[in-house]
Amino acid sequence: MAVDIDAYRAEVRAFIAERGVPMSREGVRVPVDTDEERRFRDWLGALYESRYLGGGWPVEWGGRPDHLPMYDLILMQELILGGAYRPLDQVMLAAHAIVEFGTQAQKQEYLPKIRSGEHVWCQLFSEPDAGSDLVALRTKAVADGDDFLVTGQKIWSTDAQWADMGVLLARTNPEERHAGVTAFVVPMDLPGIEVRPIREMTGLAEFCEVFLDEVRLGPEHVLGEVNGGWKLVTSGLASERAFVGANSVQLERLFDDLVALASTARLPDGSLAVGHEDVQQQLAQALAKVEEVKLITRDTVDRIFRDEEHPSDGPVAKLAYTEMNVELCEMALELITSSVSIDEAGREVAERWHHNFLWSRALTISGGASEIMRGLIGRQLLGLPRA
Amino acid sequence: MTATETTDDDIRQLRSALRGVLGTADPDAVPVPDPDWRAGWPTLAELGLTAFCVPEEKDGYGMQSAVAAGAAQELGAALHGSPFAGLTAAAHALAGSDRPEAGEVLARVVAGETVCAFGVFDAAAGRAWIVDGVPGAEALVLLDPATGGATLLADSTTWSVDVPADRFDVSRASAAVVVDASQGLALGAASVALDLHRLLLAADAVGCVQRMIDRTVTYAGQRIAFGKPIGGFQAVQHRLADHAVRARGMALVVAEAATLLDAGSDDATRQVAIAAVSVHGNSVRILHDLLQLTGGIGFTWEYGLHFYERRAHHDARLAGGSRAAVRSLVGIEGWS
Repeated sequence: MAVDIDAYRAEVRAFIAERGVPMSREGVRVPVDTDEERRFRDWLGALYESRYLGGGWPVEWGGRPDHLPMYDLILMQELILGGAYRPLDQVMLAAHAIVEFGTQAQKQEYLPKIRSGEHVWCQLFSEPDAGSDLVALRTKAVADGDDFLVTGQKIWSTDAQWADMGVLLARTNPEERHAGVTAFVVPMDLPGIEVRPIREMTGLAEFCEVFLDEVRLGPEHVLGEVNGGWKLVTSGLASERAFVGANSVQLERLFDDLVALASTARLPDGSLAVGHEDVQQQLAQALAKVEEVKLITRDTVDRIFRDEEHPSDGPVAKLAYTEMNVELCEMALELITSSVSIDEAGREVAERWHHNFLWSRALTISGGASEIMRGLIGRQLLGLPRA
Repeated sequence: MTATETTDDDIRQLRSALRGVLGTADPDAVPVPDPDWRAGWPTLAELGLTAFCVPEEKDGYGMQSAVAAGAAQELGAALHGSPFAGLTAAAHALAGSDRPEAGEVLARVVAGETVCAFGVFDAAAGRAWIVDGVPGAEALVLLDPATGGATLLADSTTWSVDVPADRFDVSRASAAVVVDASQGLALGAASVALDLHRLLLAADAVGCVQRMIDRTVTYAGQRIAFGKPIGGFQAVQHRLADHAVRARGMALVVAEAATLLDAGSDDATRQVAIAAVSVHGNSVRILHDLLQLTGGIGFTWEYGLHFYERRAHHDARLAGGSRAAVRSLVGIEGWS
């Protein structure tokens, strides 16, 4: 059956234009006040209700029977192009973890609330001494009858300050490493949980520290099997996999912004930066590299659509995109430093670049740092031994 | 291979067949430049190598630059001595002419009997500064960038090698030639031939880089130092990962440019320039870093890594370097 992709895209675009809530800056997702929070939640609920988001869920939980991975890609591309607030990846990961590992009762309790926008989820994974080496986590969940008492410290939890629920990884067996970790679903308003937003170098507070002090969880909070929590980390839950394809749109936009910046930035002699050969050369080299990354991304998405993904495809696409993002931001900052005047319109562009520059490091560190990606590529693509 | 529809599978099969003929099927095989490559050229012509960008009515396969780019990668990986990029561009220019003399030369080129070199003519100097395939070629097609037109010099007495061949690249011949252009036969506009030449030179360098990455990965997995394979050290492994990602990007931009060229897209020249910037700006740098990762053994003549550095450098030189591509891209993008 032929699917009219263009018509679907037009439909999504119109929906975003009509209902979409704007996104202020790259990576900024925490609402500034309760009004904004309501708008964000309503918008996330509307996305799920329309099934433009979460179309790939099992049909009984709200997915569409005729879902195509292409639809996920179209949604994310259009959200970026429309400058709209984007779905929260931690929420999507929680949803997929519950679909995959949750009990029937957990599914009934939590999945509809995700789809309605009532529940925002965060992840309670990383710890001060367990980041890239996540299995070093030490937050302990000690059995107390049928319950567990959880004590420890989590960090880098995005959205924890407004999340209703968290997916927690805690150690239930200190004698084991991977096999001693259990996953829990945690209502964030339980006694013993304290959330402290971390002010980041961008000036914003998107990440939080979360302190857990003898937080009592019942058996109904165990997600999957006791001591079987590591499966959540390794099962490749990366749900809306085709979202990765939208990175191309992001890079194209950034590159256009870079050209716009070069075309408005004046050097001390009054000339425009873009008129200089060295700037032109930089732009040309950046354009070629952006093209490489776009094609790597497209190649990856093609394989996702054909169900022929290689384990190294994700790491390759992430490394290529996030590092190129940093490079473009560095070029923009270098242009800004060498210009004496940027016109009124250009000032907004410059401010965006300053933010993007700082934020770009969040992408090369989180979700598996570039060094972890290179290791995965070395082993999974090149077949080299573990370092 | 059919002339009209070529799939990725067709290209994979051709490349595999080529590796068999060129002696590179074994990934551990170490090719050395072969000055007697002409002896095997008619065989490669039978595989179609001389006619990928020649129309069917002239006994070719149509416009198959994606196939040609695949072949160029294999020839680069094998350090093959033919001026494949130049010959393919020349054949395309010859096929664009209705003159019987051009048809005769083309037929001999397609059959693998004649080798036709390709270069850019500097009318003011009466020279072509660097011609892909000279000495050794029996015919010459020169492009005049001022007019965009190409000229055939079918009589080898109408040109002479001016400067002795640059032998930095020991695998292929090229030289500056002095030309009596009045003796030539005008072939008409040949801008596509120029794009094709640049595309295939980039593809050749990608073939060099990929083969040497594969070889260095194998080496890094076998060479033991401090009790373990050096590929297990992050200082080595992470650089190889970066190079592998970059090489994938380079191969993809070349493939994309070929696709646009085959489709007759208005964006083809831009995409070829992007491919040239991407490849020529990085190929030698990557190969030179592979040499670092290969250590002392890589520094020997016998190991042969240097052949690829020399060749990739020369691919860039024949194409005018990444600088020419940058200038072309700047013009197309309208940055001023």
